[in-house]
Amino acid sequence: MRDVYISGAAAVSALGFDWRGMGAAVLAGAPGFSASRQLLDTHGTVLGAQVPVIPVQIDVDARSRKLMSHPARLAAVALRLALHGAAWPQQVREEIALYLGVGASGCAMDELNRMLAESIAEREFSQERFGSAGLAACNPLFAFQLMNNFTLCHGAILNGTGGANGAFFSRGTGTVAALAEARWHIAAGECARALAGGADSAMHPVTWAQLVRDGYPARGYIPGEGAGVLALSADAGGALARLEKIAFHSARAYAQAPLRLTGEELADAASDDLIVLAPWGSSARERLHGALEGTRARVVDASIVFGDALAAAPALAWCAALDLLQQGQWRRAFVLSAGIDGGIGLAVLGHVP
Amino acid sequence: MSVERVFVRGVGAITALGANWPASLQALADGHGAVKSVTAFDVANFPSTVAAAIDDFTHVGDRRLALARVAAHEAWSDAGFDDNPPAPARVGIFLGAESGRAPLATLLGLTRAAGGGARFDHLQFGAGAAPLAAQFDASIISPAAVTSALARKFDAHGPAVTISLACSSGASAIAEAARAIRLGVCDVAICGGVGADVDPMMLAGFGRIGALTSRGLSCPFDVRRDGFAVGEGAAIVILAREQGDATVEVAGEGRSLDAHHLTAPDPEGDGAARAMRAALKAAGIDAVDYVQAHGTSTPLNDAVEALALQRVLGRHLERAHVSSVKGALGHWIAGAGALGFLCAHAAVADGLVLPTANLRESDPACALPHVFERALRKTVDAAMVNAFAFGGANCSIVARRCA
Repeated sequence: MRDVYISGAAAVSALGFDWRGMGAAVLAGAPGFSASRQLLDTHGTVLGAQVPVIPVQIDVDARSRKLMSHPARLAAVALRLALHGAAWPQQVREEIALYLGVGASGCAMDELNRMLAESIAEREFSQERFGSAGLAACNPLFAFQLMNNFTLCHGAILNGTGGANGAFFSRGTGTVAALAEARWHIAAGECARALAGGADSAMHPVTWAQLVRDGYPARGYIPGEGAGVLALSADAGGALARLEKIAFHSARAYAQAPLRLTGEELADAASDDLIVLAPWGSSARERLHGALEGTRARVVDASIVFGDALAAAPALAWCAALDLLQQGQWRRAFVLSAGIDGGIGLAVLGHVP
Repeated sequence: MSVERVFVRGVGAITALGANWPASLQALADGHGAVKSVTAFDVANFPSTVAAAIDDFTHVGDRRLALARVAAHEAWSDAGFDDNPPAPARVGIFLGAESGRAPLATLLGLTRAAGGGARFDHLQFGAGAAPLAAQFDASIISPAAVTSALARKFDAHGPAVTISLACSSGASAIAEAARAIRLGVCDVAICGGVGADVDPMMLAGFGRIGALTSRGLSCPFDVRRDGFAVGEGAAIVILAREQGDATVEVAGEGRSLDAHHLTAPDPEGDGAARAMRAALKAAGIDAVDYVQAHGTSTPLNDAVEALALQRVLGRHLERAHVSSVKGALGHWIAGAGALGFLCAHAAVADGLVLPTANLRESDPACALPHVFERALRKTVDAAMVNAFAFGGANCSIVARRCA
């Protein structure tokens, strides 16, 4: 198996559109929260880690935006930036693999409303009207805002990546599975280059209504959003870091046995190592911190800066870890992600030998 | 470098033609089909009014999970793991699933909370949605909920992975599972896909873009084809590092992205061809005896797949057969590729090459060695299954006889 290197990175986050500087912000523990624009009308002032207005130079075109969910747009921008950063030749794009952790795509609610409003007859919902006037009222491509795989496919179409691919639905660790798959492809020699990451938003009005219903904000949940992408290759030349290890486990493994990360996977984390946490909500955060008691490594929490960005959270944490590793102060960065369903994932980044 | 082999130890399915895979397989072999008028809800004025629904299946809660449980239990028993289960830490779950749908009543409640007009009234929604939120059951929406529930049910402590790649989800999940076993991440994988999409939103969404049959006929590769029929069901496969009694192995997988268009395939079939070539290359072969095609019954997709098959298999196509199960069972979307894999498995394991139901007059643009009306019996050493998704994500898998 070949070593796998990180040849480039990209992040679309509350801090902007550059992965550099993310680590310093995490280290400083400086929250980048502001009142969510997306939630302002529905829920008043909700502090969140929201992506700034996307500059037109890097944004997708207006026509494509109409067909996209918000996370798909964030993913497409991050993919474009990652390809630019990796500086791979245009002619290899067809072979580039693409693996993303994705969440439930939030649709434009106007579309749903329009469709259902036209389906009312005599103050009651009419399935017959739904089948005719209701359907006629909505964008024919409405379905493509809803399907989870389009968070990946929109970006692939716009950027021309045609290799092996997978959209992993992520409740925290699916995004780590996406990185693992990309790494395996390169390590096994099945492809030379791959993009791996995650994109999501916790700021869709319906998503937030659900989170409120489940009591997350009361437990300190800060909604986040963004997209993070690593460009991977087997080429050490000019690489930013080496991707040393990936592991992920189902919730079941940790439901029966208490989380003991220090036992196996973090056994050799030393005082010159860094541990970056990407938890999904306060329960996962507490579990991770509890499991790390006694570790000699420095522990930082990416969600302090980026909020809980669902499927994007692990990928944003990788980018922050990469940035911190570049500072040269640490030997390795262990990025631990924990999902809402208890699943857990680990990515270990090290310096290029 | 020696490559770890991956064996098919068990299969299970629930379909509109049978409550288990043997019953379904027999009905498919006899040329039966399950596509008929939707009766579960009013489809008047819908662009398409037919589907392959499992009418006599009752469930509580998430239909996807209920279907997947049935198929997974059958596959697990077929693998002989009921009495001798593998170590939990070495069992992984890899499932192709899309989001479940909230009941229409919930959607309607949401839209009323937002004013009920043509515009989404954010202010009203903020006030009105809070009490409504109590009606949400996030677990029936999340694709990962099915995977998590199966992990609990089968005490699987290894990786739990949910693939949401639309129509190639199920096949990609099997491909991921095979890879995980080869890399030593787990020894046993419960994998496959589930689709439970015979509902108003699905018929509306796909109908609106003209992807569904208005004729009410699912007839892949036929001159009369005009769109697919939605189907539902679950197909689960147990893969393992140890051969046991297995006679079929997963020999190779290949995936690609068209990177071309949201709904239309690459007109030259380049993306599909790349996935097929990669699967054949991984299997170390250049021909197969049977192809379970993606064959959706849509005019463009079937023709492009036929072109891609001709390009990839060339003269080898003459001694192969090609069919699509979607003529009989409709399109399961996230479960489609897994159902296709079971058909390919039946060809290799039992020499049973299923027909394409409703294929009467093949389209010259789909010139392939079709299987008409009833199943053929022949020796199949290797079979390939194709799954191609909206958005251009393609997956091909080669199943091969093993000694």
